[in-house]
Amino acid sequence: MIRFFKFLIRISSFLGKELTEIFRQPKLILTLVLGPFLLMFLFGLANPGQGRILRTTFVVTDPNSFKKEIDSFTRSFSSSLVNYVIESDKEEALVKLANNQTDMVIVVPDVPLETIQNNQQAEFLIYHNEIDPIQIGYINSVASVYVDEINRQFLQSVVELEQGDSASLQTNLATAITKMQTLRQAIPMSDVNTATQAADLERDLTDLHEKLTTFRTLASGILVKPFSAKISGLSNDQLTVIGFFAPAVIALLLQHFSITFASLSIVRETRSGIMELFKVAPITAFETLVGKYVSYLFFEIILSGLITYLAVWLLKIPILGQLQQYALAVVVLLFTSLGVGFLISLISETDTQAVQYSMLLLLASIFFSGFFLDLRLMKEPITFLAWSLPATYGIRMLQDIMLRGSPGPQLVFLGILIMGMVLFLIDWLLLRRKMESQYS
Amino acid sequence: MKNNDLAGNVVEAQDLTKTFGDDIAVQSLNMQVPRGTIFGFVGPSGCGKTTTVRLLTGIYKPTSGSLSVLGKNPTDFSKLDREKIGYLIQQFVLYPDLTVWENLNFAASFYGVGVFRWGRLNKLLNFVELAGDKNKLARDLSGGMKRRLSLAATLVHNPELLFLDEPTAGIDPILRRKFWDYFKELQAEGHTLFITTQYVGEAAFCDLVGVMYGGRLLMIETPDGLRRKAYGGDVIGIRTNEEIRSEHRQQLEGLPFVRGKAKIISDQEVEVTVDDASTAVTMLLEWSKAQNLTVEMMEQKSPPFDDVFVRIIEKEIAND
Repeated sequence: MIRFFKFLIRISSFLGKELTEIFRQPKLILTLVLGPFLLMFLFGLANPGQGRILRTTFVVTDPNSFKKEIDSFTRSFSSSLVNYVIESDKEEALVKLANNQTDMVIVVPDVPLETIQNNQQAEFLIYHNEIDPIQIGYINSVASVYVDEINRQFLQSVVELEQGDSASLQTNLATAITKMQTLRQAIPMSDVNTATQAADLERDLTDLHEKLTTFRTLASGILVKPFSAKISGLSNDQLTVIGFFAPAVIALLLQHFSITFASLSIVRETRSGIMELFKVAPITAFETLVGKYVSYLFFEIILSGLITYLAVWLLKIPILGQLQQYALAVVVLLFTSLGVGFLISLISETDTQAVQYSMLLLLASIFFSGFFLDLRLMKEPITFLAWSLPATYGIRMLQDIMLRGSPGPQLVFLGILIMGMVLFLIDWLLLRRKMESQYS
Repeated sequence: MKNNDLAGNVVEAQDLTKTFGDDIAVQSLNMQVPRGTIFGFVGPSGCGKTTTVRLLTGIYKPTSGSLSVLGKNPTDFSKLDREKIGYLIQQFVLYPDLTVWENLNFAASFYGVGVFRWGRLNKLLNFVELAGDKNKLARDLSGGMKRRLSLAATLVHNPELLFLDEPTAGIDPILRRKFWDYFKELQAEGHTLFITTQYVGEAAFCDLVGVMYGGRLLMIETPDGLRRKAYGGDVIGIRTNEEIRSEHRQQLEGLPFVRGKAKIISDQEVEVTVDDASTAVTMLLEWSKAQNLTVEMMEQKSPPFDDVFVRIIEKEIAND
């Protein structure tokens, strides 16, 4: 009993010490609480909520010949997406592109109809001056949609033309059917074979007439684009960009705070020399580590509570799932992140090294945790890296709980929990080696 | 070397050696530290004092030899054994962003001192005269105050055996003297103190002094014994009203209880080394009277420990 009581007292030494050191820095706490909100708010302000407006230059040899199509296209596409001008000189348009006066140059084929009639595709040449792969992808998408739209409009024009032409054909067909009826009635009853052939011909003509009627009555728009899609999400699809990113930002920040605090903790003590005192004192590596875990968890749980409250209250981020599930996910994320932080602290020789490792881990988390790039888009070996980061699990869990209202896959929760426990074990063994073994 | 009852020794080392690769940090160290003493460990910087303390506290594992501290090998210390030990590290290792009180409270917690400890902490702060500064941040303390705070943190769990590694290094002489007053008080309370220092003059405050040089423990003696070893006996100064001529000096050096040459201080003053000052003074007075020399002053000299230490080292180098 006395041993357990002393164990608690020894653990409490770190609780008091770490918390006092943190609370002695009010500016740090203010930054930790308000920093994420300022970032999310600015991120929200910076995001336009729609695709980038592309300043487009169409190069048309004879502007009048394609003006109608271009106008029609930009109207049907989205006037806010393509802010266009028409040029007749391709070289001049490309100079503008190089000088960043336009974002995209579309060179319309000179004689498209003749080319098509010659059984060849008429080619639109599309130029851009981007280096960012994401922006290049965006321009490719816009170009593809543009060409699809041109193709659709062209087909629709052809269909409308053919529908118009088929009116006289249908009249002729009706006359032919009437004549065929008269002819069939004139065939003697005994000539069964001829009468049957005439009846078949009359039926074929009537059938053709009906199909032509259907062709003429169908809208040209339906004929060239018979299918459309209506998309409905099972989850909350009314989210703003901030709403979607908020759980990821919270998870990433909680991981970063934990790692930063923990990574500096032991390395500082090693550098200051107090570790030598720990070696002589009746405190074990286990007590030291538990003490540090408890103190940082205590502080960070309060911090997470504040951040969550402000996210819900100020930014109106929903928590559709149960609050207990959210709290559990946060605690497990903090626990595992602290494990990573202590590991860094135990393998680092200096403060600078520990900070470097923490920053590298933050960068890795931004790129690989699913914060920006969806994990499903990553290639197989890289996903191992992604799932070795606590933030990956944290983002998944918080997004599921906050935005979908479900606790998410149990495997994710178990994964981060096991990772946290393994890290605790490794940290304990490393600290024990540092504290309890001799220098040499 | 002073022999003590084994039960009365808190430290016993036999042929204790510590090497780091090819470097010998401590070589064949033999010593016994009796319970309740102030044991001074004196030597120049880099002579192996801190290595020895680290061996005694279990931080280092000996390369060879045997070691017993409080009856156990330090590398096998249990928590209970560690609670009996206090260790003051050379540099200030407590937390600069905590106050004096918070640092002391932290030390008390990690030594497992019970929660009702405010009385003890206040008593300690009074002892090291920091009671008025308990709300000051450690980073705002002077060097001397930091040392006193470190000492208080070392005493917080009332250890039986204290290892103080250069507790007076880098602090002013007045504060150094005050530290030795603290140490005497602690000794009076029953603590055993093992103190390393490079200020050889501080040997005077110890019950026993171990002289360390080049990784070797040259001797362990009482402070007086150390002087006697350095000079080959007690030193007596003689000043007369008349001139002490060379024939007088030759006669002096020929006396059976006088060791070595007489040291000339002035025409009328010399210093001689004798076997035992208490008996030699009477015989020297008789000799002076026989030589018609009027003695103005005759007293036992206590050469400064700096000189004592230099003599010991010089002898050691000469022997090598």
